[in-house]
Amino acid sequence: MGFTRWGLKKSPWVYHVNTGACNNCDIEVLDLLTPRFDVERFGIQLVGTPRHADALVVTGICTRQCRPRLQEIYRQTPKPCVVFVIGVCALTGGIFHDAYHRWGRVDDAIREVDPNAIFAYVPGCPPKPEAMAIGVLKALAML
Amino acid sequence: MSETELARELKTTLGATALEIRQPSRNNIFVTVRPEDVPAAAQTVWDGMKSRFAIVTGIDVPGGIELLYHFVFDDKHTIVTLKTLVAKPFPEIESITPVIPAAEWIEREVHDLLGVTFRHHPRPERLILADDWPEGVYPLRKEFKPKDPNE
Amino acid sequence: MDIGWVILVFALATVGTTVLGLLSKWVDRKVTARIQWRVGPPWYQTIADVAKLLGKETIVPATARKWTFLLAPVVGFAGTAVAASVLWGANLSGTGFIGDLIVVVYLLTMPSLAIIVGGIASGNPVSALGASREMKLVFSYELPFILALVTVIIQAGGTLRLNGILEHQAASGMVIGSFSGVIAFLVAILCGQAKLGLVPFDIPEAETEIMAGPFTEYSGAPLAVFYLMKALLLATVPIFLITVFWGGFREGWQVLWTVPVYVLILVLFVLIRNTNPRLRIDQALKFFWFGLTPLSALAVVLAIFGL
Repeated sequence: MGFTRWGLKKSPWVYHVNTGACNNCDIEVLDLLTPRFDVERFGIQLVGTPRHADALVVTGICTRQCRPRLQEIYRQTPKPCVVFVIGVCALTGGIFHDAYHRWGRVDDAIREVDPNAIFAYVPGCPPKPEAMAIGVLKALAML
Repeated sequence: MSETELARELKTTLGATALEIRQPSRNNIFVTVRPEDVPAAAQTVWDGMKSRFAIVTGIDVPGGIELLYHFVFDDKHTIVTLKTLVAKPFPEIESITPVIPAAEWIEREVHDLLGVTFRHHPRPERLILADDWPEGVYPLRKEFKPKDPNE
Repeated sequence: MDIGWVILVFALATVGTTVLGLLSKWVDRKVTARIQWRVGPPWYQTIADVAKLLGKETIVPATARKWTFLLAPVVGFAGTAVAASVLWGANLSGTGFIGDLIVVVYLLTMPSLAIIVGGIASGNPVSALGASREMKLVFSYELPFILALVTVIIQAGGTLRLNGILEHQAASGMVIGSFSGVIAFLVAILCGQAKLGLVPFDIPEAETEIMAGPFTEYSGAPLAVFYLMKALLLATVPIFLITVFWGGFREGWQVLWTVPVYVLILVLFVLIRNTNPRLRIDQALKFFWFGLTPLSALAVVLAIFGL
């Protein structure tokens, strides 16, 4: 395993994207980043700009208005990067699966830009912070 | 439910414009008015009786689109709602934005979602639907059928 | 003194101080974690950060000035590395020249200049805003910092050589032992907090306010160089303070004294960082101009009177 690949596993910096969520998943993502669950011991840090990010934490149903913006944010994230699809809404739409403003699934939107994008899915409504942490760690272990 | 003082005060202030005043619970008073009387009634309730304008809501009912204008009397813990019915397929009503400037955005939202045209609205532009949403399709009307894009 | 020896000293000082800086950055994060009742990252965390950044692609925005954008972090790193080498040279082998104190102070402003230039060359309004905040911050803390150093110069009899200061401290006791020295040291600690970009003075890179400030558009290798530059500065500023206030480490036995003082200065930075909220830029300006500048002027006056 190369030096930089080891660095990517040990130091994933995270950028949070909300594509039209009810904010419940966003609250749980925020909870995950508080001192109680201490994700800094895995090297996870919240960064303020997608250009510093290794992992995009995406919540929400991917509305029509948000789809081009999500694709732009993905393009601006330097590769290699992982997309964490958090919550049932981002996976399949959840209870909003036939909402009038929904474009489709988050991973379909990103695959339009990059067919080889790497995804990790954490279902739940909202997923518990422990579930999110396990999802992140499993994805990193597979890198 | 016996009439409270506020309901009596509304009856005397609004007079003939109030077609019906109902008070189903202690905190809610519904005043039915004709569509053309809405700006004047809003002015009376908001400015004359010194209440707080809360929001405008709408619902698609068999007779047309029912618009509800909610005003809150904080000291009396009561919400007074002006109800009016506008006929489909092209519902039109006079805007209350010249009277209450804060109603500008919510009327734009009602227009986007229910298709009600507000006459004399200062900025009748799209507010919450996507830029590429087709014109003339109003999601909150009963004719609109929701569809899952992944099926 | 031949060029080969100079290059060797420069390389050793840069690499060694950078490693020291990366470990100091880890100490910062670990102590912060402990204060917040957490566990904190492992000791290799900062090295993993740099490794990861080196492996990411470098994106240069279309609106940026490409070569200024890419070279700004390199220039900042190089300036700090030269300052570190001068300090190590003066401490370890007595090399130096008249005015090398001024050169070190000047070189220690290079990181801030690199941040400003990099932020403005990014072509992003958020970066330009961060760069303008950094400009105002440098404007505010350089004056009390220089006055604190004037205190040391006056105590050492007017010499502008680092070796002169070290010899004076070897002969007549450390500058910190005097009343004016203590005041000047405290002023220098607070100015160092601003120079390193730590809360309460991390106004340019205020994450919750303006994304990442001047670093918003940086990614990959240039960001790794900025990270290394900040780590290098984190190690160089305490070494500078030890040299001028605590007598340096010319003699071997002084190392017993220097290492705990280095840790003390680091822990002071970390404790101030964890117990204070961030200031607004106008509050920071007022603090430095109307709070620390009179205090350091008082230290200068006391030094003139020999206290």
